[in-house]
Amino acid sequence: MLSFEAKYRQEAMAVPPRATFGLMKIWIGRFYLGFWGIVALVFGLLGSTVWFWQVLFVDPNRTPNPLLNFIRGQIAPPPPSVGSAITFDPSKGFWWLFVVFCATVTFFAWMMRQADISRLLKIGYQVPIAFGAVLSSWVTIQIVRPLLLGHWSEGFPLGVMAHLDWLSAFGYRYYNFFYNPFHAIGITLLFGSAFVLSLHGATILSGAYKKAEGVNEDNINRFYWDFFGYSIGEIGIHRLAFWTAILCVLMSNLCFVLSGTVVQDWSAFWNFWNVAPWWNGFGF
Amino acid sequence: MATEVYRESFERRTKTVRYIRILEGLADTQFGPVYLGMWGAFALFSYLMCVFITAIGYGEQVGYNPIRFLREFAVLTLYPPSSASGLQMAPLQQGGYWQLATLFLVLTLVFWTIRIWTRAVANGLRPMVPVAFSAALFLFAAIYVIHPIWVGSWNEAPGHGIRAVLLWTNHFSVKYGNFYYNPFHMLSIFGLLGSTVILAMHGGTILATLSYGSHRELDEIEDSDEGTHRAQLLWRWVMGFNATAFSIHQWALGFATLVAVAGAIGVLASGPVEPNWFVWGCRADITPGLQAACPTP
Repeated sequence: MLSFEAKYRQEAMAVPPRATFGLMKIWIGRFYLGFWGIVALVFGLLGSTVWFWQVLFVDPNRTPNPLLNFIRGQIAPPPPSVGSAITFDPSKGFWWLFVVFCATVTFFAWMMRQADISRLLKIGYQVPIAFGAVLSSWVTIQIVRPLLLGHWSEGFPLGVMAHLDWLSAFGYRYYNFFYNPFHAIGITLLFGSAFVLSLHGATILSGAYKKAEGVNEDNINRFYWDFFGYSIGEIGIHRLAFWTAILCVLMSNLCFVLSGTVVQDWSAFWNFWNVAPWWNGFGF
Repeated sequence: MATEVYRESFERRTKTVRYIRILEGLADTQFGPVYLGMWGAFALFSYLMCVFITAIGYGEQVGYNPIRFLREFAVLTLYPPSSASGLQMAPLQQGGYWQLATLFLVLTLVFWTIRIWTRAVANGLRPMVPVAFSAALFLFAAIYVIHPIWVGSWNEAPGHGIRAVLLWTNHFSVKYGNFYYNPFHMLSIFGLLGSTVILAMHGGTILATLSYGSHRELDEIEDSDEGTHRAQLLWRWVMGFNATAFSIHQWALGFATLVAVAGAIGVLASGPVEPNWFVWGCRADITPGLQAACPTP
């Protein structure tokens, strides 16, 4: 336990349970368990055991080297002939459906667990909300989009190299993903995340290393005014961080779910531009 | 002390401050005073030169027609010289504009780094921001300068234009046998997605504990208080590990730097070290579904 932890555990014990929150209020070492912790543990262990078993012992392309199998092994989604039906045939992707189901339950339980703990600590729910954004990405790509197109085969294979191959092929399936405007916005926010993270981390460290010399947030504000005329402030930077990261994920959801459902060719998508009405009268 | 002198001059310049009321309740509202200084002037000059050269190059392509400029803006490109001219100076219309614009762009970024270095020191901070920025500068230099010089052709660099950088990214990956198999690219992407995760985690954690004052990070690093305690316990109870108010910013800087440094190594290794990353993947035996496409050893 951390030096100050006992006080907060006592405080958490005094919070009355509500529905599934605050049930099974026990700690195992550092970890809080709780109802959603049990759900996450059961489905997480089930899903990962099946994944490792498939990749290490069943995958037809496996090698004698388990570490190599971890990288190159996969569980493929059901073939197109299955459609969006629930199959129980192991040769037709049952284990893909099984692991995707387990993973979805685990991710959801993990989010609820974060909300449970946030409630016990009497803090806001921003962390489970942020986790919900990335959960929505998994659900969009593996469940919503395949169901919209009527084929589980649209989901990505569960494997390290296999999902890279899938992503590489997906980039060229709708002509070229570099023409997908939501992909472009998503990537901008992705690099923007790294940029904001780098600036924030470096800024706080730059002040913390000089704390003994009396440096405080005024120095940082002045540095940013000098730098580009604006200092967003110590609360504002965390709002910016939160929304940059979340919008990045939500934009990438959009760029996936529109591909194949609404847009078949992201280059042709831009044809509207050259014939847009606002060019009328300029002689094009 | 340079810092003290600077503070005095700061007081005199506060007349140039503006307040943007619309940001009230979201973020700080004060804009300015921005500092120019010698390095700022150099950076501004070379940036304007870069913009001017690019505007001339684009202007020639659209016959200086502003409507055509707007209509074709996303596809207008200053192309680098052809591979035949290697590292030579090229005529303006055949890559010379690109060479001049790139030269001024590199100068801008170097001056900008020096500028934020001097500003950090003048404000009493350790120059961590310019150190972090120089990682991004290294990636930029690797793509636009070092790799082209190493392989002996400016043609390897991206053109200047919106579609041009996307096309370059696409072609560079394909030219070196698919970047998805490049282990440095994998590491860079790991850092990139990891950066977004850490950003969401840190931003979310601080926003969740705002009412306990965890956002006063410099004070919290010196002497952690209730907000930081609750934030730390959240992650300790969720995943069995927690950073401190200090170490989370080391994680942040580390992950963000990894993106640029691993990415730069991945670009530099493409060609001279490994001409085809897919073939590298074949040698590493990680291409089970595509064995037929591998060269026979």
